[in-house]
Amino acid sequence: MAAAAKQAQQLARQLFKLSVVDNVVSTDRVAGVLAYVEKHAPANAVFVLKTYHRLIAVELAKSEARVEHAGAVAPAALAAIAAAMTKKYSRPITTTARAHPALLAGLRVRVGDDVYESSVSGQLAALALSV
Amino acid sequence: MSTVLDQIEQQIAKLSTKAVKKNTGNIRTIADGVAKIDGLSDVMYNEMVAFPGGAIGIALNLEETEVGCVILGDVSKLKEGDEVTTTGKLLSVPVGKALLGRVVDALGNAVDGKGPIDAKETYPVERIAPGIMARKSVNQPLFTGIMAIDSMIPIGRGQRELIIGDRGTGKTTIAIDTIINQAKINKVGLASGDAKFRPVYSIYVAIGQKSSNIVRTVAALEAAGALEYTIIVAATAADNPANQYIAPYSGAAIGEWFMENGMDALIVYDDLSKHAVAYRQISLILKRPSGREAYPGDVFYLHSRLLERAARLDGKGSLTALPIIETLAGDVSAYIPTNVISITDGQIFLETDLFNQGIRPAVSVGLSVSRVGSSAQIKATKQVGGKLKGELAQFRELAAFAQFGSDLDAKTKAQLERGARIVELFKQPAFSPAAIELQVSILFAMQKGFFDPIDAKKVVAAAANMKNFFTTRKDALLTEIRNKAALDKDIEAKLQVACEEWKSGYTA
Repeated sequence: MAAAAKQAQQLARQLFKLSVVDNVVSTDRVAGVLAYVEKHAPANAVFVLKTYHRLIAVELAKSEARVEHAGAVAPAALAAIAAAMTKKYSRPITTTARAHPALLAGLRVRVGDDVYESSVSGQLAALALSV
Repeated sequence: MSTVLDQIEQQIAKLSTKAVKKNTGNIRTIADGVAKIDGLSDVMYNEMVAFPGGAIGIALNLEETEVGCVILGDVSKLKEGDEVTTTGKLLSVPVGKALLGRVVDALGNAVDGKGPIDAKETYPVERIAPGIMARKSVNQPLFTGIMAIDSMIPIGRGQRELIIGDRGTGKTTIAIDTIINQAKINKVGLASGDAKFRPVYSIYVAIGQKSSNIVRTVAALEAAGALEYTIIVAATAADNPANQYIAPYSGAAIGEWFMENGMDALIVYDDLSKHAVAYRQISLILKRPSGREAYPGDVFYLHSRLLERAARLDGKGSLTALPIIETLAGDVSAYIPTNVISITDGQIFLETDLFNQGIRPAVSVGLSVSRVGSSAQIKATKQVGGKLKGELAQFRELAAFAQFGSDLDAKTKAQLERGARIVELFKQPAFSPAAIELQVSILFAMQKGFFDPIDAKKVVAAAANMKNFFTTRKDALLTEIRNKAALDKDIEAKLQVACEEWKSGYTA
């Protein structure tokens, strides 16, 4: 059972590596992988696809800066964030903005696992921890 | 009102407006104090991670797609999907003299209700043991106050001496006796004003024990006036396995502070069997491959890296370790006992049979050994007790032979009589360690045959009477022995006179 799961994980990882070109997930390659899985139906296909989905989701999150903001954010600011993150992570990064009133003021930018906190609520939380 | 607002505004102004970078992940599964986390791509091995609600975890398993963390503290409020952040720090505990007399948990937080601890420093829980060049050979004695141990299985400062035996054979009692004896010696030494005197501070680490047992231990130390020189690190059976796993390392960090600052410390790990079980539990939940007795492959390293931290450092202090191992049906060849036996510098083996025969402490002289040997003994003990181990070994051999009921010659009979008296002489009640000068005096009396006319069954009472005689009436002589640490002709003569005086006044 454990060996089968390990094999499925390995296959998912191989398929994932095939789907990434120059640190970017390729839409064409993903379509190709899905076609391959549909045609050949490997053992544990559902598990393989779920693992593959998780790996692709993690990779896509690395190429997207999710900007949460309390007030309005100018398109120029979003473009500046995208440019700064692209430079920092050496890969093309796009931005998506989402209003988050609980931040009170400021921004929170999430790229993959990294979170850049520059909001009042984040600072208040840090203050609460320090006292 | 405006002042309050000003204060808040100043505090807000102080906060940096620069964006703070955090590396985060989310709990995928959580069970038995172990969480598996998605994300945390920047986390380091053994790094502290922060969970919501102030709980702290340690990253132990770094895998391709997830991180396995043990959680220290309350896990009841954590749930799947909660955000976890890295801290960039290794787990540290408060250290220093402010902890003396206190009971703390595995993270160094006070649990004795005496208020917060004002510690100025912290030490990382996991530290690399001192290297070879930094070490000095072990040649300073650490007196346990137990006659059988100090005379035959001496322990030196910086040594690792295992206390091993079945449940209920008095392992903890030996450790507590040793701690109490250190406190007694400290009090006498500090009162004497001797500039060269080096007190020994004790750390007692309770792993997986019932809370009631820990309370009893604290009460015993308090009653003996030893708590003021002792720090108790408690990870009870009710604590999660992560706390039980980390507690000995926290204790070692606390002990290392004394060692690094030129002081001597003694640490008792009670017990490492339960520690190994807690680690096995964590490892199995983390799905690490299991080996013999389902323990993970690195269970040897678990204890070796802990015990290697005990040392005597050149130009600094020392940390002496007394790990305790509980055996099942006297089986010393089980996995964890053999591991720890091979790591330590000797073992004190306690036998159930001896305990049930009333020989307490139930030290098996044949199976117990101290690899440091007589280099950790004062000259006076060597003079009076140098041949004891051999005499007892001969006695056991002859006693086994005599069971066949054959006629025995006078010499053999005398050896058996002497051996029986030595066994009786080494009986000692719990929590009443004897000072080394008193031990020397009693052993001198035994060597000179003062106990030979006394019936073997009455030797315990006679020895107690003699201890009382020496402490109440020969204090000057005891002080002289303590200060000189050797028996010259003058002291031997005085001891002879004192023993004769006792003999003339003693009626069995």
